[in-house]
Amino acid sequence: MQKASSSVPLTDDLRQISTPVVLARDRTLPVVNELAGLFRGAGLQQGSTIEVEGAAAVSLAVALTVGVTGSNRWVVAVGLPELGSSAAAGLGVQFQRWAFVDRPKDQAGEVLYALTGAVDLILVGPEVRIRANHGRKIAARMRERGTSIITVGDASRCNLQPSLRVRVNRTEWIGLQRGHGRLDSRKVEIELVDRNGDSNHRRQLLWLPDSQGHLSVAKQDNEWTGQSESCSRGEQKILTDLDEQIPWAS
Amino acid sequence: MNLSHGLADTRTLFLVVPHWRTIATGVTCDIPAVVLNNNRVIDATPGAARHGIELGIRRREAQSLCPGLEIIVDDEALNNTRFASIAVALESVTPRLEITTGGKCSFLTRGPCRYFGGDQALAQIVVDRVSEALSTMVGVRELSAAIQPRVGIADSRFAASLAAISSSVSCVQIVPPTTNADFLSSFPVDALADGDSPLPDADDLVGVFQRLGLETLGDIASLPKEELYARFGTSGSLAHRLSRGMDGRTPILQPISSLMSGESDIDPPADHLETVVFSAKALANGIHQQLSGEGLVCVGVLIEVESDHGEVSSRLWRHEHQFTPTDITDRVRWQLEGWFRSEAAPTGPLTLIRLVADEVIPDDGYQLGFWDKETPNDERAIRSLTRIQGILGSDAVTIVHHGGGRRLSDIEQRIPLAATTFDPDRPIVLPESSVAPWPGRLLAPLPAVVLSQAQELEVTDNQGRCVRVTGRGRVEGTPVQVRSKNFGSHSVVAWGGPWFLEERWWDSCRKTRQARFQFLLADGTAHLCVVENSRWWLEASYE
Repeated sequence: MQKASSSVPLTDDLRQISTPVVLARDRTLPVVNELAGLFRGAGLQQGSTIEVEGAAAVSLAVALTVGVTGSNRWVVAVGLPELGSSAAAGLGVQFQRWAFVDRPKDQAGEVLYALTGAVDLILVGPEVRIRANHGRKIAARMRERGTSIITVGDASRCNLQPSLRVRVNRTEWIGLQRGHGRLDSRKVEIELVDRNGDSNHRRQLLWLPDSQGHLSVAKQDNEWTGQSESCSRGEQKILTDLDEQIPWAS
Repeated sequence: MNLSHGLADTRTLFLVVPHWRTIATGVTCDIPAVVLNNNRVIDATPGAARHGIELGIRRREAQSLCPGLEIIVDDEALNNTRFASIAVALESVTPRLEITTGGKCSFLTRGPCRYFGGDQALAQIVVDRVSEALSTMVGVRELSAAIQPRVGIADSRFAASLAAISSSVSCVQIVPPTTNADFLSSFPVDALADGDSPLPDADDLVGVFQRLGLETLGDIASLPKEELYARFGTSGSLAHRLSRGMDGRTPILQPISSLMSGESDIDPPADHLETVVFSAKALANGIHQQLSGEGLVCVGVLIEVESDHGEVSSRLWRHEHQFTPTDITDRVRWQLEGWFRSEAAPTGPLTLIRLVADEVIPDDGYQLGFWDKETPNDERAIRSLTRIQGILGSDAVTIVHHGGGRRLSDIEQRIPLAATTFDPDRPIVLPESSVAPWPGRLLAPLPAVVLSQAQELEVTDNQGRCVRVTGRGRVEGTPVQVRSKNFGSHSVVAWGGPWFLEERWWDSCRKTRQARFQFLLADGTAHLCVVENSRWWLEASYE
């Protein structure tokens, strides 16, 4: 017969083993290096909602999934029927574990609830609406199971509380001029805002996409050239393969 | 149970209709035709085989071997539905026909064999009946040798299926009782990974066997059973059982409890198939849940549907591994579609559906292999996506499929998840890395938003006149303003183009000609627009 006092250290040990100390903020989903500097813990916190808004919101939301798709985790895009998969592939998304639920109609709540806990990251399109009671259930399950949601546009229409807002402040396309040139790359400035509108802004300048269609970091000292005038990349670039072979414009 | 008794019990007749997938679509086997699944050839008619087309090659390869090739896309529902007419022909031979899939079925021969006077007579009767049904279906008097039904009889179902497939000359191959092991011993181990083998995911296992120098089933049978079990687990011992000519799994012969069957009255009686399928779904879920609670899985299910006027459709379905509820509802749908289409179609609405788990086996579980690519993660995700298919319809969940082509709509394709099987190593061909050069395609950066339906636009110059592109490729007017119904009016800051695309100019019906433009608007957004037949369309946005 063991005395109660002797079993105390044992239970302490057990507690130590059975609940290893992993704080919620340490459980993160990976993001690519270009964006990792923005996030505390260099990744998306599991179980959190991230709101992406602004002009390049779709591209930016897709860019945030790149690290997740590269690590054999599942991403499901709900309500984004028009997402260009070639452009996303250019940013680095691997589509092996990626599914689309294009038109959840009025069942979006059920769909998201079924997905939370089963996949790692859910992208939610701008048209998706979720009722308040569904939103609460989904948020609770997200915290418990560690699924994160990225909403394109306002997260409150899904009745979810974003813990981070990623905002695209400025965008500028480079390479297209009046009657000649082509879209070559886009410089964007993105900014992170915490849940409580924290003043501790984190900013980043990115090429989203750069001239190869990839994601890359832009130098901070680059001047914004203003919307109407495009940058002085002298040579007129071509848009399609055809032009390489047949000179249309002579 | 003693051995000889067990063998006598499992003596099975296996019927294969060669090229069933082609026959089911109504294409005659005389012309070169192939059936495709996942862009791979899974069935080729003798005509196609003469051109050197083999199973497993890609569509383009097949087309290059034989330009006039008829391409059939595999349709599992159709395969199974059309097979009903063959099944009816065998109903007078046995009451317990087990349909595995379209083109393949089997039954235990114990009763029928005694009744018809021996294996040979039984096999001949089956061949005659099926040939007759086939020739009415195909519409010819004399079946060509290539589509003659093949029959095999052996002591186990696996051996019978091999006997049926390998019966080269006479269409019938009978393995005498108790010589099963001898018959099997000369087959290569590949047979274990065959479509009719009850061994799940056997490709890897067969690969290992081959590398170990075990080339025939006889080699495996000669190994001690315990060693195989210790090394390869349940699939190892199953491989051993199969190689020794025993039936794959011992069915549980205890009486079926009421848990394992379910019926539901359809009230009000249903005219529509979907109503019945819906009831079947609930029944199937219930049976599946109760079975899994007892640690069992169902490999044979009896589906019975009754109509108001007393007509009954009753059929036994068999699954190689185990039935999931979706598998069962699929079979209900196939059975009913076949019934509605047959001559004995029900005259009244349907009133009753009954599902009976006819054969259950212990659930060995699904052991994730060492080298298995599928992770529990994937299994969980697939399960939830399947559930969403249940909520929204089977086409609701899609995955990326990059096609070749010049237009965005050709490149950006999605296919329903339900139409494929998940494969983490599925190659996703990106437009840039595709083998074909596709001159005229868009270069990176590509638009992040591709509209599923192009929107009509109005593009005007500073005098409000519509900007036009002439047949010779000159732009008349300078784009200043862009207007559309849903998108409002915006002024153009910068624009580029036109870049021309002319496709299929040799084909007067399908030829297209378009000019592409890029517009940068005052609000900072950039778009890809095209002119086709003097009309402007917004195709995609660089969102």
